[in-house]
Amino acid sequence: MGDEGAGSTVHLLCLAASSGVPLFCRSSCGGAPSRQQLPFSVIGSLNGVHMFGQNLDVQLNSARTEDTTVVLIVGLEELTNIRNVERLKKELRASYCLIDSFLGNSELIGDLTQCVDCVIPPEGSFMQETLSGFAEATGTAFVSLLVSGRVVAATEGWWRLGMPEAVLLPWLVGSLPPQAARDYPVYLPHGSPTVPHRLLTLTLLRGLELCLLCGPRPPLSQLDPQLLERWWQPLLEPLRACLPLGPRVLPEGFPLHSDILGLLLLHLDLRRCLFTVEPSRNKEPSPEQRRRLLRNFYTLVATTHFSPEPGPTEKEEDEAHPAQSPRACYLVLGPGEGWRLVALQLGLRLLLLMLSPQSPTHGLRSLATHTLQALTPFL
Amino acid sequence: MSGPAWRDSHGRPAEFPGDMSSQEEEEEGDCDAEASGLDSRSSASSDTDLEPEWLDSVQRNGELFYLELSEDEEESLLPETQTVNHVRFSEKEVIIEEDDTRERKKYEPKLKRFTKILKSKKLLPKRYHKKNSSDNGPVSILKHQSNQKTGVTVQQRYKDVTIYINPKKLTVIKAREQLKLLEVLVGIIHQTKWSWRRSGKQANGERLVVHGLSPGGSAMKSGQVLVGDVLVAVNDVDVTSENIERVLSCIPGPMQVKLTFENAYAVKKETAQPKKRKTQSSTNDLVKLLCGSETDSIQHGILDTPHITMYLTLQIQSEVSKEEQEILYHYPVSEASQKLKSVRGIFLTLCDMLESVTGTQVTSSSLHLNGKQIHVAFLKESDKLLLIGLPAEEVPLPQLRNMIEDTAQTLKFMYGSLDSAFCQVENTPHLDHFFSLFFQRALQPDKLHLSASLSAQQYDAASAVLLDSLPGVRWLTLPQELKVELDTVLSDLEAADFEELSEDYYDMRRLYTILGSSLFYKGYLVCSHLPKDDIVEIAAYCRQYCLLPLAAKQRIGQLIIWREVFPQHHLQPPADSDTEVFQEPKGRYFLLIVGLRHYMLSVLLEAGGCTSKATGNPGPDCIYVDQARTTLHQLEGIDSRIEERLASSPGLCLSCADWFLAAPHEKADNLTTSPILNRLQGSTKTVTSPTCRRTFFSDYSFKTRKPSPSRSSGGYEPGEGGEGVVPSPHTTPAAVRKQRESNGSEDSMALLKLARKKSTLPNPFHLGNSKKELSDKELEVYNTMKLTSGPENTLFHYVALETVQGIFITPTHEEVAQLGGSVHAQLIKNFHQCCLSIRAIFQQTLKEENRKVLRGEDHSESADSMSSLTAVKEHGVLFECSPENWTDQKKTPPVMAYWVVGRLFLHPKPQELYVCFHDSVTEIAIEMAFKLFFGLTL
Repeated sequence: MGDEGAGSTVHLLCLAASSGVPLFCRSSCGGAPSRQQLPFSVIGSLNGVHMFGQNLDVQLNSARTEDTTVVLIVGLEELTNIRNVERLKKELRASYCLIDSFLGNSELIGDLTQCVDCVIPPEGSFMQETLSGFAEATGTAFVSLLVSGRVVAATEGWWRLGMPEAVLLPWLVGSLPPQAARDYPVYLPHGSPTVPHRLLTLTLLRGLELCLLCGPRPPLSQLDPQLLERWWQPLLEPLRACLPLGPRVLPEGFPLHSDILGLLLLHLDLRRCLFTVEPSRNKEPSPEQRRRLLRNFYTLVATTHFSPEPGPTEKEEDEAHPAQSPRACYLVLGPGEGWRLVALQLGLRLLLLMLSPQSPTHGLRSLATHTLQALTPFL
Repeated sequence: MSGPAWRDSHGRPAEFPGDMSSQEEEEEGDCDAEASGLDSRSSASSDTDLEPEWLDSVQRNGELFYLELSEDEEESLLPETQTVNHVRFSEKEVIIEEDDTRERKKYEPKLKRFTKILKSKKLLPKRYHKKNSSDNGPVSILKHQSNQKTGVTVQQRYKDVTIYINPKKLTVIKAREQLKLLEVLVGIIHQTKWSWRRSGKQANGERLVVHGLSPGGSAMKSGQVLVGDVLVAVNDVDVTSENIERVLSCIPGPMQVKLTFENAYAVKKETAQPKKRKTQSSTNDLVKLLCGSETDSIQHGILDTPHITMYLTLQIQSEVSKEEQEILYHYPVSEASQKLKSVRGIFLTLCDMLESVTGTQVTSSSLHLNGKQIHVAFLKESDKLLLIGLPAEEVPLPQLRNMIEDTAQTLKFMYGSLDSAFCQVENTPHLDHFFSLFFQRALQPDKLHLSASLSAQQYDAASAVLLDSLPGVRWLTLPQELKVELDTVLSDLEAADFEELSEDYYDMRRLYTILGSSLFYKGYLVCSHLPKDDIVEIAAYCRQYCLLPLAAKQRIGQLIIWREVFPQHHLQPPADSDTEVFQEPKGRYFLLIVGLRHYMLSVLLEAGGCTSKATGNPGPDCIYVDQARTTLHQLEGIDSRIEERLASSPGLCLSCADWFLAAPHEKADNLTTSPILNRLQGSTKTVTSPTCRRTFFSDYSFKTRKPSPSRSSGGYEPGEGGEGVVPSPHTTPAAVRKQRESNGSEDSMALLKLARKKSTLPNPFHLGNSKKELSDKELEVYNTMKLTSGPENTLFHYVALETVQGIFITPTHEEVAQLGGSVHAQLIKNFHQCCLSIRAIFQQTLKEENRKVLRGEDHSESADSMSSLTAVKEHGVLFECSPENWTDQKKTPPVMAYWVVGRLFLHPKPQELYVCFHDSVTEIAIEMAFKLFFGLTL
């Protein structure tokens, strides 16, 4: 599988490693899917490089050019035994939508952080109770309430889902075209890679969907409007209040410092995150730029200073005893505007903020600490 | 300054500069007089030791790398390593046709002829066979094992005997007319056959059969030299009766000398077989020297690590399909590197493909090999590709990027272009040596025994990650008078109006113009008259050859390096054809580095501008070498003053991280009991008198600090006036508070400082660092003791890079050693690693900025650069650390938090600043930068 970007163009190329047959190739230009394809000679060379290295027990991971173009070559897991390439290609078409949404400019960040994008609902406990009751009534342990790909509330069972699928399921629901109800077969890469499960989705309000992950039972027909109405009618007002939470994540009136332009809070153990670029909407830069800045900042922070995976970090700390462990870092962008980016790790929580230029650098840490403390009860 | 006044490091009178000129004077004839000149010289000089000892090391292409250790160094080194003391780089003599050499001679300028005459007298080709542990042969090498009888393994044809020779004891005898150095120094009696003496110079001379041993002589003492043995080589230089006296006379001082004998028994057998020569190159001499005796084990350790450098061509002639024809050069040849070599096809393909797809050149790639991640850095130039691959765990990617650029820069400086470096066969041994040092530094920086002390070595190893790649030279700020003094000395040299160099003297054009020179002391640049680009390139060259740390440890008895160089700054084609603008002459450039003790003087010479054009491969010119050496001797008196400055930086006071980890109640105790309070209180009275202040400024220096007393004692002997400035953070807050009470109007920092001044004793060295032209107010800023704001001194470490002058400042080894502390050492290591990643971000910013300038954009940011992190001016990281080996189970270990902050300044000139300070005080990087950079001028 190859992944490569040139300028703002991203190509995702999937090859069968053994035969070199291209399985699919998706491209996106500036966030939108594009028809532009890699020339065949390039595809051939990429495969050739991989094959050549493999014969000599050398695996090429990545290559960089001057404008930080990244080529990632990851050997495709040979798990899936490809019997018929053409049939596989057809089957893969079903996932184009999801793949394209990864290449595009999503509002979510779960792909990067491997944490589930969440929102903080008003009257969260009430909603949680209702969800649990509903799950019991339908006989499924895995139920969640999603608003545009972000989890509003979910049952204990849902939160116990393994890592790829916990991020992928909400992402998939968010990327599918709106429908009143779906019955969608899914494989769970971690929990059940070979046996498909059913993903049922029911739209409560436009953008607000109820998801159930289940086996053969219950059939979709059992989840009739009466059942939904009985459970969710009393919560109509809180549900309505959830709708704008899609991009905003934090409830109305949450006390956030006025300098904050963007926020990303991760809980490294629960693998959940809050991500928003909505505060002070009217100010520069645009939400799109803020999102990209925060994404880039997260990449920098995660690769150079804080390792998001607990495993390797401990190992490194063992080596560099006594622990010189990073706790916070900040970045002042320049030479122009001077937006500030600050990251702070406290225990299992990692907070990244984007701040306006008038925020003094020496106050960044206390500002981040206060914000983190304010957010701690929610995540 | 004229030559004869000084003596060289071995106390031997250095007469040759004077002699030489007089010789030259006599020989005003044409080139054909060479032979006669040679004769007269040799007869006249047989006992004057006319020829500089380095002359034999000059290679055919004119290059010289001559390193001689100082005597004490020699003694310490010899017992363990048994290396020969001269490191020579002439291992692989390039065979140049005889007529070619002759032709060259005709064009040789007269001034150089003398050198050439000496050179043409060069003895037979040197043999280099080095001792491996396995190569020791039957003969014991240790001189004190005199009882041991010769191994008498008759089969062995050659034996090496190491004996101690001390020419010093002979200086009296030396005056006598006919020297028999072989007899007097070595104790070997050899009767020259009359017929040989008669016939004069024979090409081969006579075999040196040992006819007898003089009683009490070194040879006899060794017990290994037998009558009938034939002396064939001294320190791997082939000897015969013809050259033995000269070879022995080259021995500059007491040292161990290796004599190679042909066994008496073997001689009789007279086997016609040629001597089996070890083809082992001596390229590892420097590595060996730097690593001490562990070289072999170290090198084995390195060989197991996959690493490689390759120079590949992308254009392959298809008609000749030879194996590996695309490889123009590669190093090393080892099992682990073989695999990397075999996948070169990947690199070639990537390089080709990515460039065509993305339009930019590939810079690096990562791959997995035997479970190890390897980064490979690419550098493409025209149709050639330079690759360096190193394991990711040893060398992080940003560092590798810097390293490959650094390497390419140095190679270009040495050879003009990568092509000329790699594509000429005769360069191969030099490159092998270059890269063996390179990988040694990259993979096992802490194994190189470079630094004087353990702490300094740790500091070096920790800081190399960052400092080695900075485009600057480590600078030592010196007091004004000292600076002026150094400037004067260097200017005198650069003026080149000493007698032998004046154009009138020989009635001919000068050979070289001295473009500039720069002076290093213990690896610190103390004075430079070279443009930034040149000094950076020269420093990079010195760094690659580990010369700077070598000088730091007084290992240098004498160092002379001469080579043609290609400073890119001078060789660039003129940007505009405007005749008003200065045009660089189409000249050739030569680098002369002369080292003596801790000093190293590098001189950049130009030939062909207003001087005569250089032809062929001119070797080092004695006159220039001697002038540089004289300059260094002139500076001998100054080193104590530089030393003092090294130990105590003028402006900045550092804290040790370990002090902040102590329990808080101890701190309080110290504050109340500190005797310094009283003194400070008493001294504040003087502050009110400004006149008194001024005198202090101009005349008194202040000893900044002593090695810190153990922090638990907290007290300072009141008798020691120099203790006024204390490195402990605990005393300052109280002091400041007291000051505020006594005098609220004045700035407390200035008060504190002045109070310190008052308490210091006058310094006999008159070492004020005052800038007289500055007003008092500015002076105070210049002399500020603390970089950080707030009452406590919270600065741990700093690096400040000034790119306009190509220098950076950072605490000296001595300063760091004074602080000590195990946590502090860890902190310094972490600081440099963190700075490396911060700097990687800044480098992108700079690159982006350059691109913008090229495109002619102003600072309105494009949407693209705004959302990526390519424009960063400040980056800070907060770390927490706790003491290691915390044994107290009941209490949690104390935690100390510190910031590592990097700041990039683009305007008015690019500067980079990295500081490390305690978390307790909020710092503003710009303010700290102002304090650091202020007054920082070459």
